[in-house]
Amino acid sequence: MACARMVKHLRLPLLLLLLALAAECNSMSPPEKPDKLGCRSPDKETFFCWWTPGSDGGLPTVHHLYYKTEGQENMRQCPDYHKAGSNSCFFSKTSIWVEYTVIVEASNALGNTSSDPLTFDLMNIVKPFAPENVTVVVNIEDSPHLTIQWHTPSNIDTKSGWVTLKNQLRVKPDKSKIWKNYASETQTHFTIYSIDLGVVYMVEVRCAIDNSWSEWSNTTFVKVPNFSRKDNSFWILVFSLCLIPLLAAMIILILKRKTVKKYILPPVPSPKIRGVDVQLLKSGQSEDVINAMLLNQRFPVMIPWKDQKEDYLIVSDKETSYLPLEKKKIFILPLAMALDSEVQSKETSEVDHFPKDSESSSEESSDKTESSQLLTKCSSANVLNDEKANQLKGVTEKIFQPFGIGGYVDIPRHEHMQEADYSRVNEVNGDNILIMKKENIPHTLDTRGQEGSVPDNYSMVKEVNSDNVVFLEKHSESVNASFKAKGYIDWVNQKPKNLHMAGHSEMGVCPQLVGCEYVDTVPPPAVI
Amino acid sequence: MAQRRTSGTNLFMTVLCVVAMCRAVPINELLERASQHSDKLHSLSTTLTQELDSHFPPIGRVIMPRPAMCHTSSLQTPIDKDQALQVSESDLMSLARSLLQAWSDPLVLLSSSASALPHPAQSTIFNKIQEMQQYSKSLKDGLDVLSSKMGSSAQAITSLPYRGGTSLGQDKITKLINFNFLLSCLRRDSHKIDSFLKVLRCRAAKMQPEMC
Repeated sequence: MACARMVKHLRLPLLLLLLALAAECNSMSPPEKPDKLGCRSPDKETFFCWWTPGSDGGLPTVHHLYYKTEGQENMRQCPDYHKAGSNSCFFSKTSIWVEYTVIVEASNALGNTSSDPLTFDLMNIVKPFAPENVTVVVNIEDSPHLTIQWHTPSNIDTKSGWVTLKNQLRVKPDKSKIWKNYASETQTHFTIYSIDLGVVYMVEVRCAIDNSWSEWSNTTFVKVPNFSRKDNSFWILVFSLCLIPLLAAMIILILKRKTVKKYILPPVPSPKIRGVDVQLLKSGQSEDVINAMLLNQRFPVMIPWKDQKEDYLIVSDKETSYLPLEKKKIFILPLAMALDSEVQSKETSEVDHFPKDSESSSEESSDKTESSQLLTKCSSANVLNDEKANQLKGVTEKIFQPFGIGGYVDIPRHEHMQEADYSRVNEVNGDNILIMKKENIPHTLDTRGQEGSVPDNYSMVKEVNSDNVVFLEKHSESVNASFKAKGYIDWVNQKPKNLHMAGHSEMGVCPQLVGCEYVDTVPPPAVI
Repeated sequence: MAQRRTSGTNLFMTVLCVVAMCRAVPINELLERASQHSDKLHSLSTTLTQELDSHFPPIGRVIMPRPAMCHTSSLQTPIDKDQALQVSESDLMSLARSLLQAWSDPLVLLSSSASALPHPAQSTIFNKIQEMQQYSKSLKDGLDVLSSKMGSSAQAITSLPYRGGTSLGQDKITKLINFNFLLSCLRRDSHKIDSFLKVLRCRAAKMQPEMC
């Protein structure tokens, strides 16, 4: 009986001992202290804190968060454990510029463990969430660009000015490693123009409250197409429209190239003789050429030489002395005799053509002692060579000058020169040389003079050299007579520039000329 | 001669001022500029504290004085959003100006200490302090102009003298700790100024909600 009463009294403590022993065998412990405390305010008004619990020590453990602000003595418990998820505490009423101290306590049956305290100011834990609903639109009309839009995170009070958001976005091509940052202050849209076609772009956006930046938003991928068909067709159309008039212009140019060439490069007028066909000259016979030149020429009207001072050249035989100047006998030196350089420059070329062009000389000179006519000045008909020369040149009437110098050669009389014998001028060598043909040409002397009869002591001019020397030749004998022209130089010097011959078709009429006397040996050939 | 010239220039200046007043910059424009300055100031102080923290002895965090020890903590400021939105514009301006004024001397001290700070990022820190001084000066001038347009109560400044002396400490650790502490106080005050000015800006721009 006493034994049973002893067992009854010992039952409870024994049970407890057994339990304690059992607990000891399972190694239960108070919880580990919670770790990694963190707090964040997404809107500068509310904040939440989180922690990572340690091991629970095998027993059900609860966590409590306690906090206090700067001026308070006692810790207060977390107002909301659920809003921010598990192991978190949400604070809706907060103070700023005040230091918070937060502690998390884990407790189980065996004990409590507190975490390290976390102190912070609300301003230090402000960090907004990333922007939402980021949309990127590609636009390739006009110039390709990306239009990016997003929404600010919700529940942020920007209206009162308590919170001001700044935005930032970054873009990079898919393959590249470098991001390009763009700042967009308070607006929630942005356009980027510097994009390439055919590239995939990645776009991210973030925002900041008071210089505290959020995380980057989720990446948005966008592909820029390679080209715009509409764009392309437009350019093809423009190009073809521009091309058609160009082609037309080119075709016209090619078809009318001759006209164009004539317009751009007008032909340089080449020397031409009226009525003379260049082709004929090139190809034709000499007779044809002569015919062409002689037959078809319309010689310009000769204007009588007016207001000219005439000097006379006294020419005499070698044996004879100079005879006094007789105005009756007037000989006109050919152009070739002119020594006036100015005139010569004008006329020499004519004279040069002179002998080459005319084979048949219609010039006759008297071999009479009385007169030998070299050339008539006044007579248009006899100045054939000159005329021809001028005609060949196409000299107009206005400036027609058969001679450079209208001068006269006065050949003194010779007694024995009875007959008037003319010779044809065969050729003129050089400037001043007349070569006579030894011929007996029946002369038809048609002398007109202002004074008296024709003197009969003419000499034939054989030659005139460049020293103003005239070589005369007698008909019967070849006599070289050198005469020095007496007034030759005077005659030359006084030569006026402009010779103006009125057009006279008849023989050498110069009524106005003083002392213009000439012997017209041969009537003008019919051909002229 | 000189007198005539000075009177002439005075006249000219008066005319110029009158003309300028007729085309005075509107308040919301001034507030926009002021808030940009304060934002820059706050941003500089934030980066400064981060740079200092990169090489900071862990013990320093333990023995660092509490923010309540800041020389500007005696100034009563709103402590949450609702309170801040209820403060009048003049009071907000006055608070901002007082805080700004309170930092003109300590910035000089910070600058002189930064020139010989025992820290790896010393030169960057020094440059940023210089920049902060410039922004602080220009913001002060701007707020003077603004407050003159807002009435006499906006121009009242509470004196908050700095009594920390002319040196931050003798040894390296003390120097760094005190430097860090001052910077944290500066960060808080610059944030206050920035927040007040932004609230003011939003209130002044009632016609333009996008300003807020």
